[in-house]
Amino acid sequence: MNTGVALAVLAAASIGTYFARSGLILLLADRTLPVMVERALANVGPAVLAALTINLAVGEGGVGSIALAEAAAIGVACAVAVWRKDLISTFVAGMLTLWILSAIT
Amino acid sequence: MNVIRRAASTADRQALVDIVPLAVPAIPFGFVIGLAVTESAMPHWIAWLTAPLVFAGAAQLTMITLAGSASAWAIITAVLVINTRHVMYSAALAPSFRHQPTWMRWFAPFLMVDQVFALAALQQDRSPAEFRRYYLTVAFALFAVWNTVIPLGMLVGPIVPDSWQLGFAPPVMFAGLTMFAIKRIPAGVAALVGGCVSLATVDLRDRLGIVIGALAGVLAGAIAEQLITQRANRDRASTDLVRREGASS
Repeated sequence: MNTGVALAVLAAASIGTYFARSGLILLLADRTLPVMVERALANVGPAVLAALTINLAVGEGGVGSIALAEAAAIGVACAVAVWRKDLISTFVAGMLTLWILSAIT
Repeated sequence: MNVIRRAASTADRQALVDIVPLAVPAIPFGFVIGLAVTESAMPHWIAWLTAPLVFAGAAQLTMITLAGSASAWAIITAVLVINTRHVMYSAALAPSFRHQPTWMRWFAPFLMVDQVFALAALQQDRSPAEFRRYYLTVAFALFAVWNTVIPLGMLVGPIVPDSWQLGFAPPVMFAGLTMFAIKRIPAGVAALVGGCVSLATVDLRDRLGIVIGALAGVLAGAIAEQLITQRANRDRASTDLVRREGASS
């Protein structure tokens, strides 16, 4: 790939990514939205995070590729997050589960 | 004034504590990208510039690895599809930016990656000044880590052993953050449906399943919200009726 094309790709990717991130903040921040829309937006976070979790956990190998240790790590992380409400405990518990079960199975 | 300062410094400290477990898993990913830069068909200095300018791991890795084997348009399309989820982040955080100064509205989104969104989405109860301090502290910390580890990865390659399985750390963290974000029943419905649809569409290219799952989740959450509101209105109406009948008798 020559320098000119690579620079054009970099510019398009940078600008496109920036406007994907900023577009609705710039558009919606000055407007008072209907209550129903505001409530719907409050659900975007949990919906995206859950979708992201599953997609990253399963990966490109498909559903069959997820190991028992990985599924258990996600389950334990969810349980500890609900119980402790603390990110570091969640991380430690999830990764310990992964390492221990990976070593056993 | 002192109260405001204290609150702001508490927000800073909390932000730094919160970002550590999310920044640590980004380190091996950054190393992988650093290594990919050294093997890319793209001029290396341009591939390196994706770190400060694009600042989005999956999109960067796509650009760097597709260079040389795909057309420029295919690379740009792939990057934009992968980053579609940022549009939803932007929509979700828009209410938090309502009381922010203009410079913050224009600048902050530049640093809005998955981890920053995940933490910022949980800070909507903070005052505008505290939210700003928290957001910028988290975002700059992650930006600094990212822009340090990628050049290091370019220099020393992957030094983290595969046996550590740190590649699986992000889903573990995101699972916890999902639980933190569920504060009401509709949010729980949104997460459940989002996760299930994402699982059903996981085979789609360019991680499109994330966007489809998220959209399905938001829709399901809105329907749940509507049903709960209708039920509450019905209950209120029947309570009023009972009260009126009691008063008239």
